[in-house]
Amino acid sequence: MRPTPATLVAVERLTKRYRSIVALDDVTLSITDGITGLLGENGAGKSTLIKILLGLVRPTSGSATVLGESAFENVHVRGRIGYMPEHDCLPGAVSAAEFLTHMAEVSGLPPSAARTRAADTLRHAGLFEERYRAIGGYSTGMKQRVKLCQSLVHDPSFVFLDEPTAGLDPSGREEMLDLIRKTHREFGISVLFSSHLMADVERTCDRIVVLQGGHLVHAGDVAQFTKETETVFIEVDSNREALAAALERRGVRVTADGAGMTIQGPDESVYDHVRDALVESGAALRRMAPRRRELTELFEREVA
Amino acid sequence: MTGTVFDIGYQHYTGPREGRGRSRRAVFTDGIRTALGLGRGGRAKILPWLFIGVLSAIALVMALVAGAANSFAGPGSAEKMNLPSHSDYNGIASIIMFVFAAVVGPELLCPDRRQGVIHLYRVRPFTGTDYIAARWAAFLAVTTLAVWLPQVILFLGLSMGDPAPMEYLRTHWLDIPKFLVAGIAMAAYAATLGLLTASFTTRRAYASVFLVGLFVISVPFTVGVAEETGGKLGEWISMFNLTNIPVHVNDIIFGEVSEVTEDAPARNLPPWVRVAWYFAWTIIPGTVLWARYRRLAP
Repeated sequence: MRPTPATLVAVERLTKRYRSIVALDDVTLSITDGITGLLGENGAGKSTLIKILLGLVRPTSGSATVLGESAFENVHVRGRIGYMPEHDCLPGAVSAAEFLTHMAEVSGLPPSAARTRAADTLRHAGLFEERYRAIGGYSTGMKQRVKLCQSLVHDPSFVFLDEPTAGLDPSGREEMLDLIRKTHREFGISVLFSSHLMADVERTCDRIVVLQGGHLVHAGDVAQFTKETETVFIEVDSNREALAAALERRGVRVTADGAGMTIQGPDESVYDHVRDALVESGAALRRMAPRRRELTELFEREVA
Repeated sequence: MTGTVFDIGYQHYTGPREGRGRSRRAVFTDGIRTALGLGRGGRAKILPWLFIGVLSAIALVMALVAGAANSFAGPGSAEKMNLPSHSDYNGIASIIMFVFAAVVGPELLCPDRRQGVIHLYRVRPFTGTDYIAARWAAFLAVTTLAVWLPQVILFLGLSMGDPAPMEYLRTHWLDIPKFLVAGIAMAAYAATLGLLTASFTTRRAYASVFLVGLFVISVPFTVGVAEETGGKLGEWISMFNLTNIPVHVNDIIFGEVSEVTEDAPARNLPPWVRVAWYFAWTIIPGTVLWARYRRLAP
């Protein structure tokens, strides 16, 4: 697969084996401009895919390019890639400004530009006032933002974020997700966002890639996934079993869902069936609303 | 006067990207700053500058003693009394130099792995070889400073303490290239072993204690066994005195045996053997260090 200008990551028939363990098996995918979520359980192959794309691991077979080049064969391309690891990676004794300046220089920027970029990046992340404090004294949320800043300080075209909301409280998580959205929508930097938190991916990403056991099980737009899984949630005060039976006689699939039930029909005629079934069963309707499934359900369905 | 601050939003970087050369220089500069505690808190500065101060103080005392001898016992007395000079300095200060390398060297490698910063270096546009070469060069520069500075102080002290400073400079100027070359040899050996030890652990204290212990133990062990054994084997056992390895090279450069090595049986071995031994103890550890960092794995 030859990358088109819009294709930032191109993976073709990629396989990676660690002796007898197959971490990635014949994976083909492409990632274009935008925010892409990378989903998968532990051991699904997410980290291996990211390592290969960053040029840290050589694939067993197949090819993987970022911005049209293999980072393993050409380390220069890393100057236009950013990476935010999941684990700790910050020195405690130096200030955020000094650390980011150093990281910008290591990415190839001249010292004066590195200093300017470090200050600008910290300002965009809301850390400008704290930039001369030693990182060791920062809160977890601030450290996560410094980690994001170091991945952006050299103005990459594409950035890999590995579990960027890990360990954050709800408000810190919201701030981080806002920053990630801002990274693409305001800064124009495309993002590959690896996470196991479906809600974060659903709210932030334009597209998702789902890996399971080293295989690609799904890739596509988030909006399309949630549209495809539209269902109706019904809650009744009485005669729930009679209502379910009446719906099933009309060919409507019924699934118990807590105190209520979710139903899925072939099209909008499902609402006519609900009306008729309610009359037939005498059930007292409390609530009825269309419901969009969450990615969690989709993911569970795909990996099953 | 009033002004308006405009937020012009995110600006893309359109300037030059200088590639691996800039990356290497950045890691080199950061290595020097880390080793000397520059840009860090006060505690980070204490040890490196304490050692540099002690090393310099030794040279200052040597210069003052020589100056006093010349003043009280007449011109040229310091040389006649065979007081320690440039050729002896590296031998006298060697153990402090090695402790300096053992204490400061791990600062350049251990925190990067312990704190995970190495993960960020791995995804930058340079290689593991670039990283370790830049770190080694940075530490070599710092250890060279620590060796050269006292020698410069000693030279200035001896020339100013002499009743005829210009005459002293004319007759002793050759000491300058000698102590510069001997200093580089000492610094390269100490820097390489210091970093190699640090490459095996993420804890600075373990690396420091191990290397200091190795140097300290090698002295009485090799001296005792070499004396008991005697002969050619004793000379070779004496070569394993790790503190003396660069001092033998120092002796060859200055053309005289220093106070530290005058009793070492290894001094009887041919100069080329002692030089080759020094290179083996510098190049092999350097190669092992490179092999450990070639892939820049955490």
